Amino acid sequence: MKGFTLWFTGLSGSGKSTLSQALEPVLLERGVKIEILDGDEVRTNLSKGLGFSKEDRDTNVRRIGFVANLLSRNNVVAITAAISPYAEIRDEIRARTANFVEVYTECSIDELTRRDPKGLYKKALAGEILNFTGVSDPYEAPENPEIVVNTETETLEESLDKIIRSLELMGLIPAGEDNHTSAEEEVVIRQRLQSLGYL
Amino acid sequence: MAERQRVCVVGLDGVPIGLLERLADAGVMPNIAARIAAGHLRPMRASLPEISAVSWTSFMTGVQPGEHGIFGFTDVNPGTYQLEFPNFSQVEAPTLWDRLGKRGLHSVVLNQPATYPARTIPGVLVSGFVAVDLSRSVKPLKWLGTLRRQDYRIDIDTGRARSDHDWLFQDLHYTLESRGAALGRLWDEEDWDFMQVVVTGTDRLYHYLWDAVENPDHPRHAQALDYHRAVDRFVGQIWDRFAADAAEPEKHFWMLSDHGFCAIKQEVQLNALLREQGYLGLEGGGTDLTAIDPSSRAFALDPGRIQIHLRGRYARGAVAAAEVANLKVELADAFRSLRYHGEPVIRDVHDAADLYHGQCAERGPDLVLLAHPGFDLKASPTATEIFSRTDLVGMHTWDDAFLLAPYPIEDEQLWIGDIAGHLEREFEN
Repeated sequence: MKGFTLWFTGLSGSGKSTLSQALEPVLLERGVKIEILDGDEVRTNLSKGLGFSKEDRDTNVRRIGFVANLLSRNNVVAITAAISPYAEIRDEIRARTANFVEVYTECSIDELTRRDPKGLYKKALAGEILNFTGVSDPYEAPENPEIVVNTETETLEESLDKIIRSLELMGLIPAGEDNHTSAEEEVVIRQRLQSLGYL
Repeated sequence: MAERQRVCVVGLDGVPIGLLERLADAGVMPNIAARIAAGHLRPMRASLPEISAVSWTSFMTGVQPGEHGIFGFTDVNPGTYQLEFPNFSQVEAPTLWDRLGKRGLHSVVLNQPATYPARTIPGVLVSGFVAVDLSRSVKPLKWLGTLRRQDYRIDIDTGRARSDHDWLFQDLHYTLESRGAALGRLWDEEDWDFMQVVVTGTDRLYHYLWDAVENPDHPRHAQALDYHRAVDRFVGQIWDRFAADAAEPEKHFWMLSDHGFCAIKQEVQLNALLREQGYLGLEGGGTDLTAIDPSSRAFALDPGRIQIHLRGRYARGAVAAAEVANLKVELADAFRSLRYHGEPVIRDVHDAADLYHGQCAERGPDLVLLAHPGFDLKASPTATEIFSRTDLVGMHTWDDAFLLAPYPIEDEQLWIGDIAGHLEREFEN
């Protein structure tokens, strides 16, 4: 099975990490080798010491892209979950990465402010955090991502299904269906067939 | 006028051509009458055996059971003899929707029997009978929330409806309405090329109240006609949408049933016959085939499938391969000789070797019986009487399903598996 890079991009809190983690067991079940490069984790290891200036952000994203490319060209699926706000850098990584799949986790600032589990948007809007993407720093939404999930209007399950189905249709993962009929279901099926005169 | 080429198929489960024509002519189904006037109505053969699981699978794949692998609602595990319930994952042929998808065409398929659990198709699939859990009946899952919020019903509560006919009608109408609501959303929100919906309430009504449909003096006749009026409105609404949204709609609108129906005269327990004639035995008062006596030479599965108890195929199989040909002849004679008050019961005994071909044929039955209309073949392993009646009044028939096509199809032996090819060719121009 060929590797690929599943590149999540979207504002902080829009669901990149949540979706990455939810994807992991589904893809593992289909025999896919995976590494998740989560933005927050990368910043404590690979990009330790970098700040949030445009230059540092670009460096951080390029490093993630570099590792993702190494992984995917060795038939590992690299899932990246970093804000990666600048289109130019994402496109640069796309150009040098085989099987680059961009997933845009769309969500409005209003909704993100409402969710705001760490209170970051509140602080950013109050001017207490500088260079906060989407508030005081730009976020350039992708123009032609392979996949768009709207985490404001879709459930996690719906977004997840959309991503999986897209990957199946692109032929990047095998179709994996839960096609087992459980014992409980068989009881119901048996009753239904009997009620129509079978068995 | 819309320019998008689209194809729409409406299935009416179990509706025989004769009934459809009568109700259309009588003004009970005016929308369908209009479609009949504009199209080409003709009889069509179901699969053998003539049940929905097999017939609809032939429809959706365009191949016969020897190739798609579904021979009934049930199979017997050759090692344990326990009943198994083949599901959609065991269909070994690509579906029409898969093939259309390879050409970039997007299908929406609502309430297709024999597609549970749903799997990803190029489009949307909502499984029909015997679907149990809605969350496993919908692909992609993005539609699950909408269907749940609409209180979408896969099927009526057949367990209750069989004995409570007030409930039957209430549930039939509610289910049809929920189907219409779901169809409306799918129709409007999916960018589709091929749309298909199946009404299964007709089959349910006929199993329980075929006499009410047929007999004007039956106390529930008016209710039975009312349900057909509702089905007709459902079809009329689909046609109105299609006429607005598709190029040359009259050239791309299809309707069909998967088998016909008639009244039951007698239920015929084939395993009782096999036991009576010494072909089948159960050990120690067993209640199912797990207790099959190793000396048994044949057993029946619903509705008219005869399995030779072959050594090497079944764990306790007693019949050597060399004996099969003679045993088939012997069994065929026994079935052909069966009479009910002098009336022959079995219309045809098919050797499965003549009927089925393909990679799955060996998994199928050895003989397939087709009964004369009125004799409903059953396969309870424990039944002691060959002839009996239950509260069921309607049974499936083989060669009076209907096809309403946009052009005439001149084939006397047209069967439901032929239709997929016609539908695919719709997109070739």
